[in-house]
Amino acid sequence: MAAETADTVPARRRLPSMSVLGPIVALVVLVLVGAFLNPNFVSAANITNVLARSAFIGIIAVGMTFVITAGGLDLSVGSMAAFIAGLMILVMNWALPTLGIGIPIILLGMAVALVAGLLAGLLNGFLITTLGIEAFIVTLGSMGIYRSLVTWLADGGTLSLDFGLRTFYRPVYFGGILGISWPIIVFALVVILGEILMSRSRFGRHCAATGSNEHVAHYSNVDVNRTRLLTYAMLGVLVGVATIMYVPRLGSASASTGVLWELEAIAAVIIGGTVLKGGFGRVWGTVIGVLILSLIDNLLNLTDLVSPYLNGAIQGIIIILAVILQREAKAKG
Amino acid sequence: MSYMRALLTGAAVAALGTAAAAQDTQVIGVSIPAATHGWAGGMNFHAQEAIERLEEVYPQLDFVLATASDPGQQVNDIEDMVATRGIDALVVLPFESEPLTAPVQAVKEGGAWVTVVDRGLSVEGIEDLYVAGDNPGFGRVSGEYMAEKMPDGGKIVVLRGIPTTIDNERVEGFESAIEGSGIEIIGMEHGNWNRDDSFNVMQDFLSKYPQIDAVWASDDDMAVGVLAAIDAAGRDDVQFVLGGAGMKEMVKRVMDGDTMIPADVTYPPSMIATAIELTAVGMTSTAPVSGTFTIGSVLITPDNAESFYFPDSPF
Amino acid sequence: MTDAAPVIALRDATKRFGPVEVLHDVDLEVRAGEVLALIGENGAGKSTAMKCLAGYQPLTSGRILLDGKEVTFGSLHAGEEAGIVLIHQEFNLAEQLTVEQNIFLGRELRKGLFLDKARMRQLSRDYLDRVKCEVDPDRVVSSLSNSEKQMVEIAKALGRDARVLVMDEPTAVLTNTESRILFDQVRALKAAGTAIIFTSHKLSEVSEIADRVTVMRDGAVVHDGPVADMTEDAMATAMVGRDVSDLYPPKGRRPDDAPVMLKVEGLSVPRFAEDVSFELRRGEILGIAGLVGSGRTEAMEGLCGLRPASAARIEIDGAPVAIRRPADALSHGLCYLTEDRKLKGLLLEKGMRVNLTLQSLEKFGGLMVDRQAEEKALDAAIREFDIRGGQRESRVSNLSGGNQQKLLLAKVMQSEPRILVVDEPTRGIDIGTKQQIYTFLRRLADEGRAIIVISSEMQEVIGLSDRVLVMRRGRVAGMLEGEAITEDAIVRHAMGVGADSQGRAA
Repeated sequence: MAAETADTVPARRRLPSMSVLGPIVALVVLVLVGAFLNPNFVSAANITNVLARSAFIGIIAVGMTFVITAGGLDLSVGSMAAFIAGLMILVMNWALPTLGIGIPIILLGMAVALVAGLLAGLLNGFLITTLGIEAFIVTLGSMGIYRSLVTWLADGGTLSLDFGLRTFYRPVYFGGILGISWPIIVFALVVILGEILMSRSRFGRHCAATGSNEHVAHYSNVDVNRTRLLTYAMLGVLVGVATIMYVPRLGSASASTGVLWELEAIAAVIIGGTVLKGGFGRVWGTVIGVLILSLIDNLLNLTDLVSPYLNGAIQGIIIILAVILQREAKAKG
Repeated sequence: MSYMRALLTGAAVAALGTAAAAQDTQVIGVSIPAATHGWAGGMNFHAQEAIERLEEVYPQLDFVLATASDPGQQVNDIEDMVATRGIDALVVLPFESEPLTAPVQAVKEGGAWVTVVDRGLSVEGIEDLYVAGDNPGFGRVSGEYMAEKMPDGGKIVVLRGIPTTIDNERVEGFESAIEGSGIEIIGMEHGNWNRDDSFNVMQDFLSKYPQIDAVWASDDDMAVGVLAAIDAAGRDDVQFVLGGAGMKEMVKRVMDGDTMIPADVTYPPSMIATAIELTAVGMTSTAPVSGTFTIGSVLITPDNAESFYFPDSPF
Repeated sequence: MTDAAPVIALRDATKRFGPVEVLHDVDLEVRAGEVLALIGENGAGKSTAMKCLAGYQPLTSGRILLDGKEVTFGSLHAGEEAGIVLIHQEFNLAEQLTVEQNIFLGRELRKGLFLDKARMRQLSRDYLDRVKCEVDPDRVVSSLSNSEKQMVEIAKALGRDARVLVMDEPTAVLTNTESRILFDQVRALKAAGTAIIFTSHKLSEVSEIADRVTVMRDGAVVHDGPVADMTEDAMATAMVGRDVSDLYPPKGRRPDDAPVMLKVEGLSVPRFAEDVSFELRRGEILGIAGLVGSGRTEAMEGLCGLRPASAARIEIDGAPVAIRRPADALSHGLCYLTEDRKLKGLLLEKGMRVNLTLQSLEKFGGLMVDRQAEEKALDAAIREFDIRGGQRESRVSNLSGGNQQKLLLAKVMQSEPRILVVDEPTRGIDIGTKQQIYTFLRRLADEGRAIIVISSEMQEVIGLSDRVLVMRRGRVAGMLEGEAITEDAIVRHAMGVGADSQGRAA
C-alpha cells in the first residue's frame, strides 16, 4: 500500500525514456558510423537498396507487431512467404498461355498471393483461437508444412517465373514513382496505416488489451478470439503483400526462400520496443528495428570493420540490448 | 528443422516397414542431405532418378533413400538403416566430414560396402569407393578462365558459399590460379549459395566500388542474384559473371551466347547417380569398382554447352 | 505483557521512494505472545512498514531492533533466518508446484542425498490439519482457490517456526468460517509465545483478536494503545481523521411500485448455479449474500454473458432478451463489475485513460479513437468519482486499491448501464473510500438505475441493500426484505438452516 504510493513517483516525467530513445539512438549511431566509414553509405542508391530490401521483412514485421501485441506469435511467416511465392509463380506460369503477358496476369498473381496469405493467416488464427492450441505449436507446425510444400512444389529445385513475364513484372520491385521504388512506397503505406491502426484505432486498443490481460479484455466486452484471429489474418495478408514485392526481384522461389524471415521479423518487433509477451506494441519502433537489422548487414558489407562471420553476433547483441532496455523501462515505470 | 526431420523420418520408417520381408535381395542405403538449395535439389533429383532406374535393371536390389537436414539427423538415418534394414551397402554424401566419420566407420566394420560421395571422411581408408567432386579443381578451372578472359588484369569481387571446407578449397584453388595474372580481388563476402543473400551482397558491392570488372559468383544460384543486382543498378562496368555447378538456366544462357554469362564450371549434382550406379555394379557383378573416382570440374563454353544441358532436371 | 521487552521494533523508521516519503519517523513494536493490529487507510504505509520490518525492503533511515539489538536485514532470507515470517497480501506461492513443495520450498528435508518425501508429506499434512485445511498436499497450487492459498501460506509459516509472524490482510480472501479457523491458530501461536502483527480493514476482527492496535495515517503513527481502550468507531475516526459513523447512505424509498427492470427465471450456470430466479426494480439495490463458493459470482457472470449459461426466461423492461455474450448484455444496458479488479477488471500496466474507455470504445469515435473525447471523459470521471493519486498516464497499478476500485466503477459507468451488477465492490478498501463507494451506488440507484451488490461482508449487505437474496450451493435459499434483513437471517439461509427460524433473534 505504501509501496503503491511510492510508485506514483512520476516515472513518465522523464520522457522520452530509454525504451523509446534506445532504438532511435542505435539507428542514428549506425547511420553516423556508416557515413563516417564509407561516404557511399548515405548515397541515394544505397539508401534505396537498403529500404527496398527491408521492405519484405518490414511489411511482415508490421503484421507481426499486431500478433505479438495481442499476445500471440507466428513462426510460420518465412515458410508462408516461400509457399505463397511458389504458388504465385506456378499459377502465373499456368495462366500464361491463356492470359498472355499483361496487366491481367499480374493482377491474378497478386490476387492469388493476397488470398493465399489471408487463408493461411485465418487457418493459423482458427487453430489458435477456436481450437485453443498454443500459438507457438500451431505456427511451428505450419512453418514445417509450408516449407515442405514449397520444396515439393519446386521438386526440390527452384520455381522460376517465365522469363518474359518476369521482365514485365520486374518494375514492381525495381520501378517506382518520383525515384522512389515501389517496395519502399508500399512499405511506407503499410507502416503509416499500421501505426494509425495501432495507436489510434479501436482494433489497436483491443489488441493491446487482449495481450495485456485477456481476462480483463473479456470482462470489458472485447471479443478476444476475434481480435486474435484478425491479427493472424492481417499478418497473412501482409505476407501476401510482401510476396507480391518479392517475386519480381529474382522471379523465383525455392526451399531457401524466406528462411529465418520469421525470426528476423520477431527480432525487429522486439528491438522496436514491442513487448514479447504482449500488451504493448508500436509500429514505428518495428520499422526502426527492421532498419537496424538490415543496416548492420549493409554496413558490414560496405566496410571491412569486422569479419562477416560476426554479423549474427552483432545482431544478437542488439536484440538482447533492446530487451534489457525494455526491462529497465519497466522497472522504473 | 526438427519438424522436417520428423516428417522425413516418419516417411522413411514407413518405407522401411513395407519392404522389409524380402529375402535374398541385397539392400543399398542411400543417405544424402535434403534439398535445401539448388545444387542439393538437383542432387536429390538425380538420386531418386538413379534409384528408380536401377530398381528396374536389378530386381535383386532394394534401395532405401533418406534425406537429412542436419548431420545429427543423417547419423540417425544411417543407424536406422543398419538396425531395421540390415543394409549391405551404404552410399553416403556426408553433410559434414567430422560427425559422419565414426558412424560410417561402424557401418563398414559391420561388413557393409561403403561408398562416399563428394565430401571425404576425416579418416582415410574407410570407404570402398570414393566418388569425389574436385573442389580445388573447381576453383582452379574458374580462376584459369578468369585469367584467360582478362589478360590485362582487372578488379573483381567474389561471392563465397556457406562457410565450409568445400568453400575454402574452392577459393584457395581460385586464388592460386589467378596469382600473377593482374586480377585483383577487391571484395569477398559470403552469399551462402542463396539468391537473396547474394543479391544483397552484390548491391552493397556495387555501392562500395565504383568500378567492378567482373564477378566470380562461384555458384549459379548466387549468379542469379548477382545478375539481378547489376541489372537493377544499371551498371555497365561489369563485363561478365562466372557462376558454377551447371544449373540448366545458366547452361542455356552460355549456349545462347549471353555475354554476361560467357561460361560456367561444372560441379555436377549427378555425381550421386554415378556413385549409386557404381555401387549397384559392385554389388551385382565381379567387376572391380573400388578406389577413387574423381569427377573433374569442366569448363562449359558455348562450344560444348549442349552436352551439359538437361532441361528435365530441376537444377 | 506490556512489561516485557519487544521482540522486534522499528525506531524512527523513515522510508522514501524517490522524493516520496511513505514512512515518517515510525515507531512500531511487538512483544512475545502479543497480537498487534496495524490499521490505517490504503496508502497509509502499513504494508511498507511490515515489509521493512521483515527485511523485504531496506529503511531509508531509522533502526530495526531485534531483542533490543540493532540489526540490518540484507535480504528477506536474513529476516526469515531471524525468525520473522511475512505473509504477503499477494500470495507468495510457486503456482506450478504442489502444496507440499511450497510448504518446504527453500528448506527441503533430506535423507542422505535424497529428499525425504514421506516426512515432508507427513509434516505438511500436520500443518494443514492445524489450520483445518483439507487440501491434498499433492495438489498443484494453481488449482487452489484464494482462500485455500491463504491457508497454505499460513501452514507454510507454521512450518517455519516463526518468532514473529507478520500477516498483511490475512482475512481479505477468507470466508467467515475460515477466518475463525485462522483466529484459533493465531490464539494458539500467541499462547506459544509468537509475536503476531497483522493488518485488516475489518475492525470487528481487530477488536476480537488483537491485544494492541497501532493506527497509521499518511505514513505516520497517529495512535498506539490497547485494543480494550478503543471502540471500532474511534479506530475508524483515527484512521480517516474525520467522523465516519454514517458509513451507509440512507436507503431509498420502498420501491414496491417501481417498474420491474430485470426479471430472471430459471437461470442455470453449469456446475455453479441452478434455477436462480429473481426480480429487480428500478431504484433498488438488491444484495446477494451467501458463502464464498455458493455460486453468486458465477450466476451473475452467466447472466451477463461472461460464461456459458441458460435461462428459462430473462426480461429487461418487460421484453424477453437473449444474452449470449457480454456485448448482448451491454446492448440491453446490463453490466457486470468484477470482484477481481487486478486480474479481470483493470489493465494494470496501462494508464487510466485506456482503462476508462476500454469497455465503451465505440462511444469514442468510429474506427479511430478520439483521444480528446477520452481525455474529457477521464476529467469528468476523476471529478465525479473522486479518483485521487497517480499521474494521468502512469500505470493504474500505481493507484491504491480504493482508487482502482473507483476507476473500475467509472469504467463500467462509461457504458451507461441501467442495470449494474457489482461484485465485492469494497474488497481490500479502506473505510473512507468504502463510504464514498456506498454513496455512489446509492446515488446511481436514486437516479433510476437498478443495482445488484454481491458481497461477503455481512454489514455491507445489510447496510446497503433494500432487499437481500441469499444463495446456497448454487440455488436461491431465501429473499429478505426490510426489517427481516438481519445477520442472523442471512447466516441461517446461507448455512441451510433458514426459513423456519426467520423470526427468531440470535
